[in-house]
Amino acid sequence: MKMIQKCLFALLLIGSIQALSAQEQSMAIRYVVTHNWTKKMAAVDYISKQERERMSYIWGSRSEWSSYTNLFMDGQRSKYEESEEKFDDDDFGYNWRKDPFFISRNFEAGTFQDLLTVQGKPYLISDSIRVQDWKILNDMKEVAGHVCMNAVLYDSVKMQRVVAWFALDMPFPGGPERYYGLPGLILEVNINNGGMIIVADKIEPKILEKELELPKKIKGKRVNETEYQEVLKKFVADKRKAEESPFWGIRY
Amino acid sequence: MKKLLLVFLLLSSWTFLHAQNRVTIKGTVADTAGADLSFATVMLLNPSDSTLVNFTRADDKASFTFKNVKNIPYLLKISYVGYIPFQKYLPASTTEVNDLGALPMRMINTELSEVVIKAARSTLSFKGDTIEYDAASFKVPPGSTVEDLLRRLPGIDVDADGNIKAQGRDVNRVYVDGKTFFGDDPKAATKNLGAETISKVQVYNEKSDQAKLTGVDDGKREKALNLELKEEFKKGSFGKITVAGGTEDRWASRGNYNRFNSKEQFSIIGYGNNVNETGVNWEDYGEFKGQSSFSDRDNGDFGFQNGGGGYYIVMDGDGPMNYFDGRGFTENYGGGLNYNFDDKKSKFNASYFYNQTELTLDQTGFRNTFTPQAAFLNTDTLSKIDFRGNHSLSTRLEHNIDSNNVLIVRASGRYNKGDNRLLQDQLFYGDQTLIRGLEMDNQADQESWRVQTSAIYRHKFKKKGRTFAASAGYNANASDGQERLQSLNRFFEATTFTQQVQQLNQNQNGAQQIKSSLLFTEPINKKWFWETFFNYSDNRNLVTRRTTNPLDENKRVDSLSVWFDNQIGYQRAGTSVRFSHNGANISAGLAAQQIRIGGKYAVEEGAPLLVPALTRDFSNIVPYLDLNYEFANNTWVNASYTYSVKEPSLTDLQPMPNVTNPAFRVEGNPNLTPARSHDLNAGYGFWNSANQSSLHIGGEFQRFENQITYNQTIEVIDSIGFRTTSRPENISGGFSVGSYLWGSFPLIKTKLTANISGNIGLSNTPSFVNSVRNETSNQSYGIRPGLNLNLSSTLILGASADFGYSNIKYSIQTDQNQEIYNYGLDGSLRWQLVSKTFLESNLNYKRFKNERFNFDQSVPIWNASIRRIIGKANRIELRLAAFDILNRRVTITQNATQNYVVNNVAGTLARYYMLSASYNLRGYEIKLKKNNHW
Repeated sequence: MKMIQKCLFALLLIGSIQALSAQEQSMAIRYVVTHNWTKKMAAVDYISKQERERMSYIWGSRSEWSSYTNLFMDGQRSKYEESEEKFDDDDFGYNWRKDPFFISRNFEAGTFQDLLTVQGKPYLISDSIRVQDWKILNDMKEVAGHVCMNAVLYDSVKMQRVVAWFALDMPFPGGPERYYGLPGLILEVNINNGGMIIVADKIEPKILEKELELPKKIKGKRVNETEYQEVLKKFVADKRKAEESPFWGIRY
Repeated sequence: MKKLLLVFLLLSSWTFLHAQNRVTIKGTVADTAGADLSFATVMLLNPSDSTLVNFTRADDKASFTFKNVKNIPYLLKISYVGYIPFQKYLPASTTEVNDLGALPMRMINTELSEVVIKAARSTLSFKGDTIEYDAASFKVPPGSTVEDLLRRLPGIDVDADGNIKAQGRDVNRVYVDGKTFFGDDPKAATKNLGAETISKVQVYNEKSDQAKLTGVDDGKREKALNLELKEEFKKGSFGKITVAGGTEDRWASRGNYNRFNSKEQFSIIGYGNNVNETGVNWEDYGEFKGQSSFSDRDNGDFGFQNGGGGYYIVMDGDGPMNYFDGRGFTENYGGGLNYNFDDKKSKFNASYFYNQTELTLDQTGFRNTFTPQAAFLNTDTLSKIDFRGNHSLSTRLEHNIDSNNVLIVRASGRYNKGDNRLLQDQLFYGDQTLIRGLEMDNQADQESWRVQTSAIYRHKFKKKGRTFAASAGYNANASDGQERLQSLNRFFEATTFTQQVQQLNQNQNGAQQIKSSLLFTEPINKKWFWETFFNYSDNRNLVTRRTTNPLDENKRVDSLSVWFDNQIGYQRAGTSVRFSHNGANISAGLAAQQIRIGGKYAVEEGAPLLVPALTRDFSNIVPYLDLNYEFANNTWVNASYTYSVKEPSLTDLQPMPNVTNPAFRVEGNPNLTPARSHDLNAGYGFWNSANQSSLHIGGEFQRFENQITYNQTIEVIDSIGFRTTSRPENISGGFSVGSYLWGSFPLIKTKLTANISGNIGLSNTPSFVNSVRNETSNQSYGIRPGLNLNLSSTLILGASADFGYSNIKYSIQTDQNQEIYNYGLDGSLRWQLVSKTFLESNLNYKRFKNERFNFDQSVPIWNASIRRIIGKANRIELRLAAFDILNRRVTITQNATQNYVVNNVAGTLARYYMLSASYNLRGYEIKLKKNNHW
């Protein structure tokens, strides 16, 4: 029953978006993604308080790294992917291999296709868009020139508390990573108190050519969202049991 | 009538049901003055937890409609830029259309709205009638008080006397974390607390004191202010102290204490013991150094470096770490202070450490030496007392001038004082008969100091990827020492003949180094880069040794005294191209390098030169290649090739012999040329995260074009007997191959893991023994399988074995070929007996075997300890430990090279029991840790 309700809401949501954003232009948004592994570790439950404090005492500000990602969107569709652009020149020019990855949403059709890697194995997840249980809060702040309101979400599978800031003046229900479904475009996301922070730093109108298209051939196991969540659940449970970080091997 | 009633009831219940089912909610959004607010965001939330249920946007006429939504209670929320978010509770509607009419929104007062709209990243939130300010969004100069911060907050006024008004009304109460701060004066907190300690400022209405006192709400409200402290700013401290005493007069104590806040870290550490802990362990050292433990940017020697950069522990020479090699008994003391500052723009560290160790060593062993014609054996018994004390001081500053310019400056100094006394007895046998005995009594003391400084500057140009870096360094050291050598040589075949030798050496050494490097990186495009670098260094060394003979009126011994002035200059200019894209990182380059060696040698300074002053130049073009490739599925390969040219070491160049033992002379060779070799390196690794298995295989191959080896000349000197003289010389040929393997495989997921590591080494080293070329071939194999069993969260077991085999073959005397075996078995147990009591035990068995010398010895070592954590906060730990319960510990080393085989057995700390008590401010953990990695 709950499922049906959610689908219904998703339909409603889609309907309202269509109405709202028919005349919206297409855009490209660049986000800065900053990881902080001592803060990621701080959210892990098998580590004692002493050890967490010790980690941040020794590593402090040296445990951060950043990269760029891009979100392309027109009124109905969006695609989020890693950027080719390097964030910093300090890492001696070394270029790491990136996992195959994209997040694509079609709010018009109410469907999505995401390519994500779990433990080195790619999964192509296709399903209909479902509701995320956002709770709307009252804070306001400005991100990249737009006034935003905040909302929180708890991901019980990855055990993450997600705080999102959505723009009041950009009525598009998309956002970075797998976050969507708020009354405005999500411009900032803070997961587990700074473990990973995604902040929009460049928002530009852009005539999209092939940016929203998916590659013709995609390698990856075809699954639906429920199956994918099962894979994640098992991964996190195994890692916690072995007392190993449950975030190396999946996208945070 | 009844029927009519029924119909009516049915009808009304139908409408009621219908009304329950679906509803349309509509309304318009206007401001308090009645103006339409077009395109406002309108949301329906679940009133119990604010979950978003539906949303829409008002149209250009500011009206909105939710059609056909479930008729349940909602929290209606409307937001509009510049207005306080509107919230209204909507009970389930009784009508089909719930028309809310005009919904008024209040404008945030002008100042506030400016903050919301303009100020970058400022946060304001509204919780009921509380306005919350995010303090971090309002910049105040460092050192400001809360009062200065409040002056910047829109809607708050602070007058010259510090009286506070919020939204035009007096603030009579200031709380800190909800508690009154030093009595009733609201200014006590705002004038005394630093602005940087505050995370949030909340302004709200509070009932008057009168109302609070009487419990009768008189309706009056006063403005109150609450200051929320930053989580990380809540200053912290941690530390622990341990004292322990045991049987056999064993004792140990160690302690450390750290204080920190968000910018500064201060720590103090100290230790003392006679249980062979010569320094601090990694964990304590990490806590001592805090944020300055690791650094990734301190290498100023640019050029031809592999990608990745990476973090490494910063160590200043032989730092205060535990380095005990297992031989002998030591008594150790040490302590230090460390200070770190980090405000993101600058990082500063200053550190001081003193440590001292006194080693008492008794060792017996034998050495078998052979020449193309003969072989002889000597036993060696030595007894040594060695004292060393070091003071070291280091500082480092990393300053981000702006986002494009970084400067790193480091300076460190070290002072060392040491003395030792060595008593050594050697007996020489030829064909099983004792020929000769050599007794030595050597004493030495030395003082030395060292200064190291360096600066690195990095600049990023506007063009992305274009960078420039420059570094410079100055290092100097000096030492002053004295050696008193005495030896007595007895010849058993000529029974009456003994010979006594005495030497007194005065040694003075000094060295200075200046170095500098430049690096320029130019991006060709997003994937290709071009690097150019230049390195320069200039070393000057001055060595003076004056040897006198106390048996001959302290006259100088010219054959052993030396003064030399040596200079080594190094220059390298190189260029390389690099390709970096999606896991492929390939560099190839060429460099031209020049090594210039100059030397002047005399018996003493000012005396005529022993050999004409040397100046020699070696110029080479050196290629370089480095490949790294990451495949999908966590598999990677790497390979590299370098042509290495290495200048001879200073002691190798010294022309005069060093004779601390008359039977073993070490000479230098001023004619040495740099060693040259082709070095190849390759590796492969994979990590399967799905089943947690991993494997790494790697190898390196080194082919010498020219290497420096110590050639041996063994001769019978009438006054000494067999005398071995070794002298470094350049020899062409020779190779070495090293390979390793490391893997880990789960057998039962999260319970049982197997791991294996192994290595294979093959080498061929040519050298001359009595002018005959001897090829020593050495094959060594090692394999170490292990198992790790997590039976439960309270019982963890480990088992491992190791097997090592070396086969050494000599081309000149095949009957000297050796086979050396080392076996080992190790079992460990960690058991949480009851909640706060832990049992830990380890059994290690080692066997050393060399058939040619009938050597076969087993060493089993068994340690066990039980510890209990006490107290509510788990701060106290009592531990009873038994070390080497079987009382069998000795340290054995076996080694075979060139034309000799050495086997030594050293005594060390054996069985003792120890009771220790520890206090930890943070408390001890009440669980077994499964992993030590993160």
